[in-house]
Amino acid sequence: MADEKVIEKLKELWTKYEEIDGKFDEEMDPVFKEPYYPGVAEKLFNPDKPMENRITDIGPPYFRQFLPPIIKKNYGKWVSHEIIQPGVLKYESETGDVIYVVRCGTPRLETTDYIREICDIADKYCDGYVRWTTRNNIEFHVDSEEKLKALIEDLKNRKHPNGSYKFPIGGTGASVSNIVHTQGWIHCHTPAIDASGVVKSIMDELFEYFGSHKLPAKTRLALACCLNMCGAVHCSDIAIVGIHRKPPMVEDDRIQHVCEIPLAIAACPLGAIKPATVEIDGQKKKTVRVNAERCMFCGNCYTMCPAMPIADGEGDGIAIVVGGKVTNRISPPKFSRVVIPFIPNEPPRWPTAVKWIKHILEVYSQHANKYERVGDWIERIGWEKFFELTDIPFTEKSIDDYRLAYTTYRTSTHFKFTKHIEIK
Amino acid sequence: MSEIKKHDTPMVDQLKSGPWPSFVDDIYSYGEKHKKQCAFDLMGQLELSYKHKETHWKHGGIVGVFGYGGGVIGRYSDQQEKFPSIWAFHTIRVHHPAGKWYHTAALRKLCDMWDHRGSGFVNFHGSTGDMVLLGTTTEQLEPVFFDLTHQFHWDLGGSGSNLRSPACCMGKSRCEWALFDTQEIDYELTMHFQDELHRPAFPYKFKFKFSGCPLDCVAAIARADLSFIGTWIDEIQIDQEAVKAYVNGELKPNAGAFSDRDWGPFDIKKEVIDLCPTKCMHWDEKEQKLYINNKDCVRCMHCIAVMPKALKPGKDRGVSILIGAKSVILEGAQLSTLLIPFMRLEPPYDDVKELVYKIWDYWMEVGKNRERVGELIQRIGLNRFIVDVMGMKPIPQHVRIPRNDPYIFWREEEVPGGWKRDIKEFRKRHPA
Amino acid sequence: MDKAELKQKILEVMEAKIKKGGKTKIYLKDLQREIPGANPREIKNAANELVREGKLEYFSTGSTVMFGLPGVGMGLEAGVEKPEE
Repeated sequence: MADEKVIEKLKELWTKYEEIDGKFDEEMDPVFKEPYYPGVAEKLFNPDKPMENRITDIGPPYFRQFLPPIIKKNYGKWVSHEIIQPGVLKYESETGDVIYVVRCGTPRLETTDYIREICDIADKYCDGYVRWTTRNNIEFHVDSEEKLKALIEDLKNRKHPNGSYKFPIGGTGASVSNIVHTQGWIHCHTPAIDASGVVKSIMDELFEYFGSHKLPAKTRLALACCLNMCGAVHCSDIAIVGIHRKPPMVEDDRIQHVCEIPLAIAACPLGAIKPATVEIDGQKKKTVRVNAERCMFCGNCYTMCPAMPIADGEGDGIAIVVGGKVTNRISPPKFSRVVIPFIPNEPPRWPTAVKWIKHILEVYSQHANKYERVGDWIERIGWEKFFELTDIPFTEKSIDDYRLAYTTYRTSTHFKFTKHIEIK
Repeated sequence: MSEIKKHDTPMVDQLKSGPWPSFVDDIYSYGEKHKKQCAFDLMGQLELSYKHKETHWKHGGIVGVFGYGGGVIGRYSDQQEKFPSIWAFHTIRVHHPAGKWYHTAALRKLCDMWDHRGSGFVNFHGSTGDMVLLGTTTEQLEPVFFDLTHQFHWDLGGSGSNLRSPACCMGKSRCEWALFDTQEIDYELTMHFQDELHRPAFPYKFKFKFSGCPLDCVAAIARADLSFIGTWIDEIQIDQEAVKAYVNGELKPNAGAFSDRDWGPFDIKKEVIDLCPTKCMHWDEKEQKLYINNKDCVRCMHCIAVMPKALKPGKDRGVSILIGAKSVILEGAQLSTLLIPFMRLEPPYDDVKELVYKIWDYWMEVGKNRERVGELIQRIGLNRFIVDVMGMKPIPQHVRIPRNDPYIFWREEEVPGGWKRDIKEFRKRHPA
Repeated sequence: MDKAELKQKILEVMEAKIKKGGKTKIYLKDLQREIPGANPREIKNAANELVREGKLEYFSTGSTVMFGLPGVGMGLEAGVEKPEE
């Protein structure tokens, strides 16, 4: 179709959208029936008149148009569910309808070809409908046991060229579900560690726990590649966070050209950055000085100012935090706590970090009661016992010295005698 | 098309093996199939990062689409010579539909667009919830936006000091525990606050998250400035026959979540009654009947999750609204604090919108740069926030425990006679 | 203050900041401080309208957004540095 024709067609579709304010419900927006037209944006966008043809503030598509008919029919009418095997759920509605769900892990970082393969599967078994969970799992929905069987068989046989599963089934019940994670070295400017590579390494090692229900409770893992913590690392059962250990460097000759110096100064939560002036080649230049003793390596200054790089191959690495959770089930939500303050970056497979995570998971699995999340288990046995059972060396680094640190001190005579107490 | 240049990536290649889906295999397969240099350059740069143990991406600067302050995040490689195809490699956040349901007609079309305009790499999804399109040049940003709006009727998500893309659990679409319509309110507020989502309005970011029940599958309590968590006010619905079926081993506890380990036969006393945080349940062995003292229940969902076919949340449902969660930057991590214990929700959610404006107006006025609303409440005090800002009545539910110090900021009007006193009169009674 | 006045005032504040050799990118909060007579929502709306008119532009670090005059200060792309002052 000629571009002019396409634009006309698109205008028609836009009118349709506007008529109902985008609230497509029973039928999907017909715009999705049109193929993608690669050339028309250049015709519509005029750099000299940027507001021309500009559509703004329309939000995402109305969600109901993407609900499978059976989901729409039973919206709000579901009465119960059952996990019939790891990764496979069955839902029953008060209308008598039944739906089966297969949950698969994904690497989150993926290509359009991978998404297309998801589409192929969804078209073949699910009338084209598919859903993602908050933990980067995909969910395929089918309405009969025959389709379910065929779908599971199909998913099991889809592999990448070097043998990894494209769509491992699991992530339900007392399992390790997919790791919520960040960009890392693949696409972020402030990370202390990689994300996708670390996650791949951990999940390869914990694979059996993804596709089974043998843990005492669900175990949520998360990874954040720096202290910005995009992802609920601070409330996960076991989590990894990237940390820096060297104060930022200051590029005296560049800082005043690339940074708003007052903003860089204001960025420091501990007031460790002060304005300064230096002379370079006889020229006075505005810059800053960092009081290294007050620096807690948060990297916030670098976020605000590219002339204060903080990343360092030797300085950066992994901290492991445990015992957090989000759910209100049994006990209130709680924060994760630092148990291993530093493990060096060991690309490509981070063996030390992986070893410790698996070890913590297995000690937990061995000792915790049924329904007990990692944090609940540790609170029951006491942190001193946790350090003893896991053989994680306790260091001064696990004693808080930031805000509200006092609330973490032991202000009682309630403690257990573990190997940590040396009696003369 | 010019010849594809490949790089040696021996370390990155080690991530092709193992059972978990390999992003490396995926990206290389894509690069070979579509003859895309950026696939090889991206892996090449990752290899260099594995060697240096440092990132090779640098700060963004001003990239965006005209008139929007969010939705695009600038990204540049510091290895322009080595990996020219990813020198400018910006991120575009596309606002996910509530509940993250899709139809392949939309997904396939998005894939075609992104192959044409960008790298072909995506995140499904980013941490906030958006679909993330990873990697394109500055020139492609407006065309991508025009494509999205004209050919998909689809908008960007939030970034920067904006309202971020709200997120919700799957709610009523598939969950029997959805105590309010998470997807509907997510959509309604998303549409109502489009201006705040696309244009900077605040001292820092602001997030809404909606979880249908206290199990909180979207981590609203840990990650949202305003957390909506479903709850109920009346009695847990009990099907005594089904309870017996669990006790007799006819139904699998917790819907089968513990199937791969022998935990012994189901023991209702040990697994339900004793784990209840308020000990408000009683199993009468003789009568074979479950009793719940609902007045003492804190709605933790444990008993319901263990016996989903026997127990259901009450019928009078609404939300608890909590405020101020955030991660550790800067003043330390915070969970959301209970603000409104119970509110019934009705579209178009005018009372929620009113509440939101009230919070925003104050935060915009008094909040400091890069101060999240939770930090602001810490700074001024929860009591001031509840009473002076929100005009609400303080109740014991607002705190876990009352304060232990008596350093109370009394207000002058609360003290008989006020604060103006006459020192001379005082000295008449108390000679110096 | 009506909207036109407010917009004029915002541009004046921006230009004054640059003349003083201080910041070229400022937060909404900074505008509020300089224009105490207007309410934050009105300032936000006026500043965002100036962006639509091409008289201001956004500067985003990804986590926060600031306002600047087009072409002044930190450049359009990282690595393109602002001219010697």
